Parts: sequence; C-alpha cells; structure tokens
Amino acid sequence: MDPLTRNWLWLLALIGATVALAGWPAALLAVAFLKAVAILNGFLHLTRASGWLTAFAVPLGLWLAAIWALHAVG
Amino acid sequence: MRIDDLPGELLMWVLIGSEVAVFAAGITVMEAVRLTDPAGFATAQGMLDGRMATLNTALLVTSGLFAARAERDGGRAGLLLAALGGVAFLAVKIAEYTADAARGVTMEAHPFFTFYYLLTGFHAAHVIAGVVVLVLVAIRPRRDTAQAAAMFWHMVDLVWVLLLAPVYLLG
Repeated sequence: MDPLTRNWLWLLALIGATVALAGWPAALLAVAFLKAVAILNGFLHLTRASGWLTAFAVPLGLWLAAIWALHAVG
Repeated sequence: MRIDDLPGELLMWVLIGSEVAVFAAGITVMEAVRLTDPAGFATAQGMLDGRMATLNTALLVTSGLFAARAERDGGRAGLLLAALGGVAFLAVKIAEYTADAARGVTMEAHPFFTFYYLLTGFHAAHVIAGVVVLVLVAIRPRRDTAQAAAMFWHMVDLVWVLLLAPVYLLG
C-alpha cells in the first residue's frame, strides 16, 4: 500500500480512537500526540531528516503532558 | 541532525514551529484560566458539538492526503482536492458556529467561549489562507511551490489535531 494512504488510514483510525476514548483526558491527549507524530512523520516526512522527528515530538509530548497535568489539577 | 536534513524550505519549518508554539501558548493559557473555574469550563465545553469537530478532523486529514500526493506528484488535481477539503472544513465550521450562536454560545457567555472562538477562529483564518495558497499554486504548479503549499496545509492539520482534545473533548 502507498505509504501516504497507509498514514491517512492510521490517522482515520486515531480519529476513531478519539471518539471511543471520550471522557479519558490522558488517553485523548496521548492519541493527539500520535496524530501529531503521524502528520510530522507521514505527511511532513520528518523521518527522512535524522533526529528532527525527535526534536519536534519530544517538546510536543512534554507540552501535552503539561496540559494533562493542568487539567488534572483542576 | 543538520538543518540541511529538513525536507523542504527551512522558512516553512520556522513557520510551522512558530505557529504550533502560538497555538500551544493559547491552549496553555486556556487550561491555566480553567483552574479558576473548572466546573464552569466543563459545563461550557459540554455545550460544544464534538461530532462536528471530529468530522472536521477527518476532512482535514483527508485533505492532507491529497496535499501530500500533490507534493509528491506535483499535480494540480491534488492541490485543488486539498483546497476543496479546506472549503468543506470551513462549511462545517460555519454550520457549527451558527448552531453555537443559536444555543447562546457567544464570546461573552463564558471565558471558555472566548478561548474557543479565538483559538478555532484563528485556526479557521489559517484554513482560509491555506485554501488561497493551494488554489494559487494550482494555477501553475511546480514541485517546489506545491511542496511549500502542502507543508503549510500539513501545519494547519497539525495545529487542529492539537486543538481538538483541549478545546472540545477534555471536559
């Protein structure tokens, strides 16, 4: 299968997971992270750039963890 | 890890990083303000229609697929289909805002709605800009311009998937 189509199907599956996980903040943010990585990796081709996917994904993951922490405190 | 390794124009990556940072800052401030009234924020968020937002996510990632194909093939059809996806996104957004207004969801109704309209409205402005760019590039497509337009479009997609949960779903 074309890698772009595979990435699109993966994103649709993650959208389905988002619907299924309503009410679970940590899981919803984890799925948001997976969707962001799929876009960075599959559509913006960051896997072709050594180290750059990590450079984008780690701050994003830390930020989403901070959002979860703020949400959990409230 | 070298700058030259990044696919496409460096300026597009600066733009992508900047835009994600701006939206992340807005979402973070929204979550911080939420601490002052968690119950009110949850009630206000519960008035939004997450189904329309989910539909819009599917529209944007499908549109992103067409943009990615146009980037690879340099084709006009892919760019125009991506733009069409953006127009469909905006149509759903307008329907959503109209339904919101009918339910009394206005900017002044609750601080959450101020963030809701600012964040989603600013994103919608980016969608409009993206549609214009995709159509302009489709008039005389070249591989480099198609790549730049597609990268902008993927940034719009990326920002949306990060907005979705905090704005619509966390409760």
